[in-house]
Amino acid sequence: MTVERAVLRVYRYNPERDEKPYYREYEVPVDKAQTLLDALFYIQENLDPTLGFRFFCRAAVCGSCAVKVNGISRLACKTPFKNLVERANGKPITVEPLNFLKPIKDLVVDHDQPFESLKKLQTWCEPKEPIPEKEYRIPPEEVKQYERPTNCILCFACYGSCEAVMDDPKYAGPYAFSRVYRYVLDSRVKEEHKREMVKNAMDVGDIWSCVQCQKCIYVCPKGVRPAEDIQNVRGIAAEYGFKDYPGVKKLQHFVDWIYATGQINRLSLPEEVYGVDPTPLINKFKERGAEVWEVPKPLPGLLEFRDLYLEVMKEKKPHLDIDFHHVRKIDKRVEEVFNADVCTKITERFEEQREDFFTRFWKKLSEFFGTK
Amino acid sequence: MKTIGFYQGCCFQGPDAHMFDTLKKVFADLGVDIKLLEKTTCCGGNTIEESNRFLVYSINARNIALAEKEGLDILVSCNTCYMVLAKTKYALDNDPQLKEEINKLLAEEGLEYKGTAKIWHILPYLVEEVGIDTIREKVRRPLKGWKIATYYGCHIKYPKEVAVVDSENPQGLEELIEALGAEPVKDYEGSDVCCGYHSFYTNKDIALKKVVKAPQGAKRAGAEMLVTPCPLCFKAQDIYQDMAPTEDKVPSIYLPELLAYALGYDAKQSGLAFHIIPVDKISVNTSH
Repeated sequence: MTVERAVLRVYRYNPERDEKPYYREYEVPVDKAQTLLDALFYIQENLDPTLGFRFFCRAAVCGSCAVKVNGISRLACKTPFKNLVERANGKPITVEPLNFLKPIKDLVVDHDQPFESLKKLQTWCEPKEPIPEKEYRIPPEEVKQYERPTNCILCFACYGSCEAVMDDPKYAGPYAFSRVYRYVLDSRVKEEHKREMVKNAMDVGDIWSCVQCQKCIYVCPKGVRPAEDIQNVRGIAAEYGFKDYPGVKKLQHFVDWIYATGQINRLSLPEEVYGVDPTPLINKFKERGAEVWEVPKPLPGLLEFRDLYLEVMKEKKPHLDIDFHHVRKIDKRVEEVFNADVCTKITERFEEQREDFFTRFWKKLSEFFGTK
Repeated sequence: MKTIGFYQGCCFQGPDAHMFDTLKKVFADLGVDIKLLEKTTCCGGNTIEESNRFLVYSINARNIALAEKEGLDILVSCNTCYMVLAKTKYALDNDPQLKEEINKLLAEEGLEYKGTAKIWHILPYLVEEVGIDTIREKVRRPLKGWKIATYYGCHIKYPKEVAVVDSENPQGLEELIEALGAEPVKDYEGSDVCCGYHSFYTNKDIALKKVVKAPQGAKRAGAEMLVTPCPLCFKAQDIYQDMAPTEDKVPSIYLPELLAYALGYDAKQSGLAFHIIPVDKISVNTSH
């Protein structure tokens, strides 16, 4: 019986000897490897002793064997080889070092830079004073709150998949912000240090550059959810009163407009976040014949929605609360545009307006084509 | 005629109200009656999580409950709305305590989150429920010679528990494009790079760097335009790409617009005429 074999196309590069990276293909018998790491061992032991890769625990604990497989960051020791072979469907499986990290040799990358980021952000416990004579007591409920970010093993799979790292050299990386969040929740850490970490996350680590693509959640081998931890840290920044960051102004827009109208207003975002008049953009659309609504249509059932919103904001303390002064301004604007009281006559009025909108739209269309 | 509840979110406002009308017409032609879930609100845009994650679960449990009350499944076009609704469904279906707590709040409005409504994104809905053959039969204006790069967007691929396509090898758009008579361009450089939409109001610089990557990669691979099922990716590629400092802008098309045009609607009725980055392939003066 012939043994099924899979082809691994492996990135090779020795900066001391090679002018540029190249790929070499190796045939690995599928039954010789349970995991991708086994397959790499097979190559090293039987086919090419010069292949370099990093490993230690072989059990998804140490975080040293993360590589890129067919474009996706994975822990070699936790990736079943058979699954890769099945998915590859006869095509070679490409194995490369993680993205965005300095190459040392072949699949081995330099971890210094992401570790350095943790130092810069000061993601550790500066203890609250006075320091107790005995150990700090941490209730289990508290531990539960930061259990997930604590599971991070610093394998940097998220770093190598990160859209913000790709385009912002200052960006610390998803893992770093999960760590910030973990220490901000820790009751042993003193308040000033928490504030310092959150400020560092913004000014040193560029946390507002996160695009929220969710790839870090997808690739994390330990179930950490960095994109969501990033949202949490951003919220805490708002709670600490860092109001001048565009992201905090954006959040205030969302919190207020959604409460007031049930929707955001994309046409007032430029003004509220960057102080930029959206009129030139609106005009561009109008020139092309598109109808433009200045404020979102108020929704039926808005009052019930507002009740729910307020109830939740009361029950679960928000990081950033509704700015009612802003809400009153929004109400006034909606009343002007729709010529009615918010939440009362507005629905009927809107239906009339909507009819109007279509009549006008079709009129324009027929004018355009000059007939009918 | 099938009926499905449509969750519109904040995508079809401002200059984009016509995009919903296009979608509704196209689905009607394909045998699907789109019933707008009028009382539903913004999903929070994957942003108010920053202030209050429980609020996101509450308002989206309400959104889903509104459809369930009418016995309807939910159709969503926006990738982000889809992800936020699906994350809420995932959280409530897997945490009875959370579900109970939220249902207490919803009871005041006479609503209950049951978890019975399926949440569809338009891409798998078109492929699996409507069917490629139905779409092919309805084509009145085959898009012969159009080379279109497929752009799926992130939030229907990641995270895994809510993904509607194979995250590492998404499918569906290519088949659709072929059914319309056009030629799909897949796996070009940048096809998996984020459109940058959500970072525009947190860090504009990075958004403007992100938004050009897929269009430029698509162009290098020989595509003349991109198509995406997500109205936010589309808006990023139409508006923010125009602001980015690149010479060659590549037009982007919102999937229902492309369908509308192939089904015989003209440039204005399909919405293709309203783009900031013009779609050169269309002739505005051609009415059918």
